[in-house]
Amino acid sequence: MHISFERSGGITGMPVTIAIDTDSLSSDEVSQLCQLVENSGFFELPTATTEPSQPDRFQYKVIIREGDRQHTVKIGETAINNKLKPLLDWLIAAARQR
Amino acid sequence: MAYQRKPEWQSLRTQPCPICCILPPHMLDKMLQGNDEHRHLALKTLRTSEQFRGRRAAVGNVSFAVSPGQKRRTIYDAKTSTSLPGVLVRGEGDPSSDDPAVNEAYDAAGATYDLYRDIYERNSIDDRGLRLDATVHYDVKYENAFWNGDQMVYGDGDDRFFNRFTISIDVIAHELTHGVIGDEADLEYKDESGALNESFADVFGTLVKQRSLQQTADQADWLIGAEQFTSKVQGIALRSLQAPGTAYDDPVLGKDPQPAHCKDFFQGNFDDGGVHINSGIPNRAFYLAAVAIGGFAWEKTGKIWYSTLKSSLQSSATFKDAANATAAVAGQLYGQDSNEQKAVQSAWQQVGVI
Repeated sequence: MHISFERSGGITGMPVTIAIDTDSLSSDEVSQLCQLVENSGFFELPTATTEPSQPDRFQYKVIIREGDRQHTVKIGETAINNKLKPLLDWLIAAARQR
Repeated sequence: MAYQRKPEWQSLRTQPCPICCILPPHMLDKMLQGNDEHRHLALKTLRTSEQFRGRRAAVGNVSFAVSPGQKRRTIYDAKTSTSLPGVLVRGEGDPSSDDPAVNEAYDAAGATYDLYRDIYERNSIDDRGLRLDATVHYDVKYENAFWNGDQMVYGDGDDRFFNRFTISIDVIAHELTHGVIGDEADLEYKDESGALNESFADVFGTLVKQRSLQQTADQADWLIGAEQFTSKVQGIALRSLQAPGTAYDDPVLGKDPQPAHCKDFFQGNFDDGGVHINSGIPNRAFYLAAVAIGGFAWEKTGKIWYSTLKSSLQSSATFKDAANATAAVAGQLYGQDSNEQKAVQSAWQQVGVI
């Protein structure tokens, strides 16, 4: 599985980005990540949310390729549900540990 | 707070009224004469209703402004949840809390209110005495602060790179200013207009800080969020109005991407078209104008920028529109060909906008 993650916005304006190939992760990390992706229902999420931006809220762009399927989700902070949030938090933590 | 309906008001549902989808004016009137919570609920309902936004004249005869100059700060604690507003922890006039985040939110909201009232004669964020609500300890390790249209919200930071987001007075004032911007020019939050939106927020954010320290333009550090980073970060602030692009260069967080001149304008979709990036250009223009004009930046230069925001910008304004508008306003306030107007024009020329 390949994941491209990007967070923009916020008062800091600092991007958080990471590209992950699960081949480079430990088996525990792979298991954890795959579970988060599944729990989020990622491949069924709408491609883009249309809610207007609030100033200094985070914006996310996630692309996941798994096998022969690929999906892109662009979503603002205000539209994130509690199934997707754990995946995003995991990706941010991974980006910060590089 | 639940509002108790009285039987006699049910007859009002059949009476014609221009905003009958929410509350009839008679019921609003009752609430507005009620306690502080009832007034707040009534005003909040009015503000968020589509009918109200489009038909202010329909409620123009409803008087709901508080006395000019009366701060009403209310601080809540979300206790790391994302439910707003949270538990009430400090009201207007209440003694200091043991929680520094609560006190910082309270004090900075007051300083922001005072700048707008004392210098620009503005009665709170909406110029109608809006209560200043804020929630601290929002979410877990949330590295952000924002104005959600009704209130301020502050995270605690991750403690690794970011301190709590109440720690910098200018960050708090920045967010509150987004409320002012929304009420005035309502600059679209994308591309150049979005970068102007961010810039005005930084400008008045730093002016609140400078006034709290009684610093002249020459004495000020012109930094946004100088207290925001932990000691682990290689950086001095989130942004610099004086020197965009120099605030930080950290192996994890990256380098400050802000341009100081139009020749380095960021083109792309990232960050709503670079609103936090390209704001460096109008930020530096304000800095240059303020230093050239001299004295306290919130006085003449701040007044030019505030008047422009209030009266002279469309929501889709470009940098060039802002340059022309601020120069025109400077001429109106201080005279055509005045030193103030020339300073503003020169500032925008130096950053390549005109």
